[in-house]
Amino acid sequence: MESTHFQFALSELNLNVSQIESVMGYKQGESQETISDLISEVLKETEAICNIKGEYRILSDIQFNDVEKTIEINHLVFQIKKIVYGLIKKSDSIAVFLCTAGEGIGIRSKKAMKEGDLLTGYIYDVIGSEIVESAADLMQNELEKTVISSGKKITNRYSPGYCGWDVTEQHKLFELVPSNFCGIRLTESALMDPIKSVSGIIGIGENVRFNPYTCNLCDNKNCIYGNAREKN
Amino acid sequence: MEDLLEKLLEAVELGKVDKKSPYPPNLKDQDGAYELAGKALEQGCKPDEILEKALIPAMANVGNRYSRREIYVPQMLMSAKAMGGAMLHLKPFFQSGETKRKGTFIIGTVTGDLHDIGKNLVSMMVEGAGWEVIDLGVDVSTEKFIKAIEEKPSAVVGLSALLTTTMENMRKIVADIKTKYAGVKILVGGAPVTMEYCKKIGADFYSPDPQGAVNYLKNLAS
Ligand code: B12
Repeated sequence: MESTHFQFALSELNLNVSQIESVMGYKQGESQETISDLISEVLKETEAICNIKGEYRILSDIQFNDVEKTIEINHLVFQIKKIVYGLIKKSDSIAVFLCTAGEGIGIRSKKAMKEGDLLTGYIYDVIGSEIVESAADLMQNELEKTVISSGKKITNRYSPGYCGWDVTEQHKLFELVPSNFCGIRLTESALMDPIKSVSGIIGIGENVRFNPYTCNLCDNKNCIYGNAREKN
Repeated sequence: MEDLLEKLLEAVELGKVDKKSPYPPNLKDQDGAYELAGKALEQGCKPDEILEKALIPAMANVGNRYSRREIYVPQMLMSAKAMGGAMLHLKPFFQSGETKRKGTFIIGTVTGDLHDIGKNLVSMMVEGAGWEVIDLGVDVSTEKFIKAIEEKPSAVVGLSALLTTTMENMRKIVADIKTKYAGVKILVGGAPVTMEYCKKIGADFYSPDPQGAVNYLKNLAS
């Protein structure tokens, strides 16, 4: 099984303090100096404890079922549901990806919280989430570069557990990749270990497109990504 | 003395832990919750008074402001830490039984789920409301919940889950607890959980944020 593997350094992700603050809910300039200082300190400590990896595998044996709104990849049927279906149905191949910040950052976050250093623990947690999202962005950019040369484009990335696509479908997704792909293990309850990991698919084709406003398509009222967008 | 309690309330609400703490910047070099609670005791304040007039109302303000999205998680955490600083002085009174908690709250993230930030926030705020909190951690099975309830049969239980899959595990845990301890109240929460789901699985209460849980517990205790 051929796949493309990435190892990222934290510096490549260009995370900055105000980005972390904005994920925490703060609007520009609203955060206090001491909190910003602590975030900046934690960011410096993070380099040594994260192990940022991404991996994708492109599969061309795919078939769409317009009635059921499903996609069959390597003979496994995925119930991706209406929204995701509509966004990837013009693909002629699919990249299955995983991405992780490694387990160190989660362990560090828990340790700080246990020792009573609540804010530090929380900052590690938020940074861990941002790392994995940013790494996935980078990996996606790399994928785009490789397909562009053959005149193709990519879609956004879509993950089980979002837009009506059931989170348990991750079990099938993991069947499409070798075991220990990207160093991630999937538990029985469809939880990835390390915690700071994401999984999903990206459509590839001449007629697909990248949509910068996918949040408008989803009806989840509680998602903080949606809320963050509303505030901006 | 009232003045001191008011200052303590303010210190906890603003998250000023102790004198050397740099947070918040505008209270630099001033006494924090740790020092103020010590002084209040020295001046003859009863531990109960410190709790009821300063610490609990401060944390309630914090919880309400968080629910209204006026403050964010970092400020809530600093307040919880400041409350912890004041509590260092009160611990001996709890241990001797002179000061009583409002009740016991057993909380855990359910089987198969490893997320704990949300659960920790709820723990802190419930503790800040004067309850004893027994945090069973993550990936907590029915058996572990039942064992903890056996030791504290009057406790209220809180379950947390972050994925729809692990949310389903709540159903069994609620059913098992209710079969054995019909009177035990169970609160549920976490990103995918809703009031509708709470009712469906026979739990007693759902809240999207910690303060909702605190208010529910307050009503139970009174
Ligand atoms: C940040 C985030 C991530 C991060 C980090 C995850 C982590 N927690 O460490 C990353 C990017 C890694 C991630 C990955 C995934 N995520 Co995610 N993620 C989120 C997000 C945006 C915020 C979660 C968070 O940290 N919140 C902050 C904490 C403080 O909030 P909280 O835990 O909810 O707790 C609060 C309340 O719920 C409440 N509460 C909590 N427990 C209790 C208990 C009681 C008794 C009470 C009263 C209240 C209460 O009080 C807390 C304080 O207010 C949520 C969406 C959202 N808005 O919640 C999705 C969300 C949790 N993720 C989701 C999904 C699907 C995933 C993935 C499966 C996607 C994928 N296929 O890759 C993976 C799974 C990762 C894994 N290891 O298996 C779904 C889960 C629902 C579902 N469908 O199952 C959510 C809800 C998004 C959605 N679709 O709506 N995710």
